[in-house]
Amino acid sequence: MPVMELKTIMMKRGFFGMLAFNAFTLLTVGNAFAGYGMGDDRQMGMQGSATPIAASISSFHDMLNWIIFSITIFVLALLLICIFRFNSKANPTPSKTTHNAAIEVAWTLVPVLILVVIAVPSFRLLKDQYTFPPADLTIKAVGNQWYWGFEYAKDSGNIKFDSYMLSDKDRTDPATQPRLLAVDNEVVVPVNKVVHVQVTANDVLHSFTIPSFGIRMDAVPGRLNETWFKATREGIYYGQCSELCGKDHAFMPAAIRVVSDTKYAEWLAGAQKKFASTSDESPRVAAAK
Amino acid sequence: MAYAAELNSDHDHAIPTGWRRYVYSTNHKDIGMMYLWFALFAGIVGGLLSVAMRLELQEPGIQYFNGLAQLIQGASPETAMDVGKHLYNVFVTAHGLIMIFFMVMPALIGGFANWFVPIMIGAPDMAFPRMNNVSFWLLPAAFLLLICSMFVEGPSGANGVGGGWTIYPPLSTTGQPGPAMDFAILGLHIAGASSILGAINFITTIFNMRAPGMTLHRMPLFAWSVLVTAFLLLLSLPVLAGAITMLLTDRNFGTSFFSPAGGGDPILFQHLFWFFGHPEVYILILPAFGIISHIVSTFSKKPIFGYLGMAYAMVAIGAVGFVVWAHHMFNSGLSLATQQFFVAATMVIAVPTGVKIFSWIATMWGGSIDFKAPMVWAVGFIFLFTVGGVTGVVLANAGVDRTLHGTYYVIAHFHYVLSLGAVFAVFAGWYYWFPKMTGYVIPNWIGIVHFWISFIGANILFFPQHFLGLAGMPRRYVDYPDSYAYWNKISSYGSYIFAFGIVFFICGVVYTYRRKELAGNNPWGEGATTLEWTLTSPPPYHQFETLPRITGSDH
Amino acid sequence: MADAHAKNHDYHILPLSPWPFTGSLSAFIMAVGAVLSMHKLAIGGLHMGLYIFGAGLLGVLYTMFGWWSDVVREANQGDHTRVVQMHHRYGMIMFIASEVMFFVAWFWAYFDVSLYPTDTIQYARTELIGAHWPPKGIIPFSPWELPLFNTLILLTSGCTVTWAHHALLHDDRKGLKQGLWLTIALGALFTYVQIVEYRHATFGFSGHIFGSTFFMATGFHGFHVFVGTIFLAICLMRASRGDFTSKQHLGFEFAAWYWHFVDVVWLFLFAAIYVWGSDWGRAAAGAAGH
Ligand code: HEA
Ligand code: HEA
Ligand code: CUA
Ligand SMILES: [Cu+2]
Repeated sequence: MPVMELKTIMMKRGFFGMLAFNAFTLLTVGNAFAGYGMGDDRQMGMQGSATPIAASISSFHDMLNWIIFSITIFVLALLLICIFRFNSKANPTPSKTTHNAAIEVAWTLVPVLILVVIAVPSFRLLKDQYTFPPADLTIKAVGNQWYWGFEYAKDSGNIKFDSYMLSDKDRTDPATQPRLLAVDNEVVVPVNKVVHVQVTANDVLHSFTIPSFGIRMDAVPGRLNETWFKATREGIYYGQCSELCGKDHAFMPAAIRVVSDTKYAEWLAGAQKKFASTSDESPRVAAAK
Repeated sequence: MAYAAELNSDHDHAIPTGWRRYVYSTNHKDIGMMYLWFALFAGIVGGLLSVAMRLELQEPGIQYFNGLAQLIQGASPETAMDVGKHLYNVFVTAHGLIMIFFMVMPALIGGFANWFVPIMIGAPDMAFPRMNNVSFWLLPAAFLLLICSMFVEGPSGANGVGGGWTIYPPLSTTGQPGPAMDFAILGLHIAGASSILGAINFITTIFNMRAPGMTLHRMPLFAWSVLVTAFLLLLSLPVLAGAITMLLTDRNFGTSFFSPAGGGDPILFQHLFWFFGHPEVYILILPAFGIISHIVSTFSKKPIFGYLGMAYAMVAIGAVGFVVWAHHMFNSGLSLATQQFFVAATMVIAVPTGVKIFSWIATMWGGSIDFKAPMVWAVGFIFLFTVGGVTGVVLANAGVDRTLHGTYYVIAHFHYVLSLGAVFAVFAGWYYWFPKMTGYVIPNWIGIVHFWISFIGANILFFPQHFLGLAGMPRRYVDYPDSYAYWNKISSYGSYIFAFGIVFFICGVVYTYRRKELAGNNPWGEGATTLEWTLTSPPPYHQFETLPRITGSDH
Repeated sequence: MADAHAKNHDYHILPLSPWPFTGSLSAFIMAVGAVLSMHKLAIGGLHMGLYIFGAGLLGVLYTMFGWWSDVVREANQGDHTRVVQMHHRYGMIMFIASEVMFFVAWFWAYFDVSLYPTDTIQYARTELIGAHWPPKGIIPFSPWELPLFNTLILLTSGCTVTWAHHALLHDDRKGLKQGLWLTIALGALFTYVQIVEYRHATFGFSGHIFGSTFFMATGFHGFHVFVGTIFLAICLMRASRGDFTSKQHLGFEFAAWYWHFVDVVWLFLFAAIYVWGSDWGRAAAGAAGH
């Protein structure tokens, strides 16, 4: 992997090497080297995409980045020209031009065109996000102060459990249980299946998100919002509550593990046993506190 | 002291003296001065809060707020951690509210606009000089209420409002039942009343008190910017007042506007809040636009390029600004069609804003630019505001905002337009008008050094926050996963540099006052053409006892 | 300009005034008192919230009295030149504009719930109101009884205040006073009828969005009627004292503007909340029939 070598070489050059490397990856290959499911150290772009929607978001964002970079560089270049060519030493007598219809029309129309160029893929992406394919699985995510409750619909396994962040002393294996992200009960879904996620809350607002899936939906009491994803890559994906919900807002992650169909079937069978007896009361009570 | 009698022999009633002169003031320049000192004080408080936040975020884990909780809230060692987490949210909330309502607005509108709108349009004072003073004095009252809120109970067991500056219910209703939230709400009511009265005053002044010959189309752009701003205030703040009144009655009198169990809707609050909140962000930036226009023109020694376009661009920004509010709510469950509308409407604003950016550059183009301190700040503003503006356009695309909403990308966006936009304009205006306001010269090097410290510090502070946001780091987090450590650390370092810049600035102010080098009427030369430069520095207690007559079309 | 030694323009340069400061201080005290009383907090064992609130309120009222007395005195002294009068007009128009936006918030809350009662995404709400507006289990007022009567009262009062205005323009002091008296009486009658109506409400203020939107919107309107009535009463007192001329009577004009504004808000309330919101009266009648 030549690019990885480049990364190590540049990292050796310290901060600026890192900056250069990241600028390079950011501008050329988008998020190809970003972490999946969680941020990567010193990452500068979005998290890796595990769903087609997330991939569209990423590539659209790459395009936007090019555009806004160019605009900013353009403005900077004009400013620099002014600074060097039109300072009072270089240009002692100021011109008195105050109008130029052509250029004024141009700087109105060109931005309009740029915005149209942005709007076309933007609207397509937005529409895709709101085009729900039929569900293979329906899961309800319920925000609480401060944990997520998950319910698999009747036709999707019919289980219900709560998911709490692992505290430092519960993290037996820090390598696979990242701080502030790992949870006691992960949500498990099969790969390449369409999962509808209904989102609501019991007390205050929360927001359910998995950056690698390109989804985020506010959890609002009394309201049933819905989003969907189709994960095409196995792995573990984390997301953190994204609507201020009180003191432990930073401590209520969600974790979704994407597995093969067979593994999913295995997990489901186990889960149906594990969570069966606790259908009314919170499974948290059963789990070791 | 500022209006030493020997500087202006042309007044016939005595200038009031002692505390009454300020506390009972009906003079727009004195009131403007009080606003500026108030803003400076609030800026320091808000800045200290933010540095405390950055200190906490410098490393993963919770290092300081648990201790702070014991220190300022008297939490016991067992509860210190929990209280500390809440205390962080209290700091975030207070920081946001203070910076917006008690620093930028008082500085730009109460301070500079009070001082210079009447002078620029050739008026002796504001239309309602007495009401002007109540606009000011309501602010310390509101500020005090906010401070009170930090020392009474919010959620059970901890003090202060930790709901964010957006105070979304139910966290701000059932989530924090203590009196802290009510103090904050009433504080906002009072701050809002202050601004509405101020807005009425400015609109009336600008419409009715322009000197003979000064048509609207000859009026300086700063006055234009304040006119548009005042309309935004007048029409948006009452809606906020309604919204927070609903919060108050939901909390205390059993209504259920925002409580789903009673048929209410938490999203309703978001609509009402952002119907105010989005125009609010233009309220914060339009006066800055006005100031930058004058500075760019003055130091380029050229009239503004495309004056009318500049004026109407602000009108357009103000008008369109009223129909884009829901871009703050893309993830709250709005329908597809609603999101499509708000995406389109939001992006439209980039066009008039672009007109402004390019017109400033065109004003500089062909000019003979003196890079004195105000101009350096202004150029910094143009560049940094562009950076913040274009990331706004990224956020405007709901499809991408899906991933970026609620992350540090948003924090980076709005600090570029606020902390590096509005605040840079405050400093630009300060260096530009300080000699006029006080009669003293600030040594140029002070402004330049202050600029470079701030420019470098602020970029190190806020640029990495884009990366954090893209990588998914949520905002309003007291602690974050270890993979975000690197950029957070750099960001925190940047904040210390920026804060050091403020210390330097304050030393500069003290030094200037002690040095007492007098400024002439017009320290900036031929480029400074607006009316304030025809007056003495500082201007007489009552200027324009005979109204000036405007003939040319210099803006 | 520097050689002019005296004020040479028509603007009003004011002397120092204590009112802004006392007003702000009182507002602060009022707010503190409000929080203390809403939370039943004690200071040193004493529940003083309401007293503190009351003290603040008195301060605010005293400030208003002092402030507006000064304004009236200045007007009578002739400080209010044509251009200053113009200022006041602009000021009042914009104050009313801001009030309109305040009511926008209440209407917004009302339409937020009443326009889409069947929105299933809002499951808690839909369940509560039975996917119907007016909500199931709520018996709204019939618009064609007291509310219609009150509409007529307000419309009439709009006429009587215009009568008073015309009388004033024609220097008919007696007509002015009569017109004002009538308007005030109609305003008071409106408030009385509104209280009677409130007392017959079959739905509560708290716990249900119907009552919340209804009482807060009509309540704030009622408060504005109350303020408007006081405003008119002050005009009547001033008229009796000999204030106002046919050429200059801003205080009166503003009271009239304010009154019309209150009137228009009522028409919207009547149409949106009473008539449309009760399913054109059917909901009330249907429920009454059971
Ligand atoms: C001074 C304040 C200010 C200003 C001026 C702006 C300006 C803009 N803002 Fe920003 N914004 C805030 C303050 C401000 N904002 C704050 C405080 C928040 C967060 C609130 C919170 O949640 O706490 C926020 C959040 C925010 C969001 C919500 C993000 C989220 O929470 O998910 C969005 C989304 O659309 C947005 C968009 C924009 C846009 C499109 C502009 C535009 O006006 C920018 C226009 C400017 C330019 C585009 C640059 C110059 C133009 C050119 C050089 C021309 C060519 C350009 C193009 C063709 C693109 N802003
Ligand atoms: C104008 C608005 C403004 C300004 C200037 C700033 C300035 C700064 N802000 Fe921020 N900030 C907000 C508005 C602002 N902020 C808002 C609205 C939020 C969101 C709150 C929420 O989520 O609810 C926020 C949130 C926010 C966060 C996110 C917290 C979180 O989500 O957990 C952070 C973290 O780094 C931060 C840091 C800083 C820092 C280090 C500065 C530094 O730049 C501070 C340095 C100090 C100054 C720049 C002030 C200098 C000015 C003066 C001294 C006055 C001068 C006056 C005259 C000359 C008259 N701010
Ligand atoms: Cu749950 Cu934030
Ligand atoms: Cu906005």
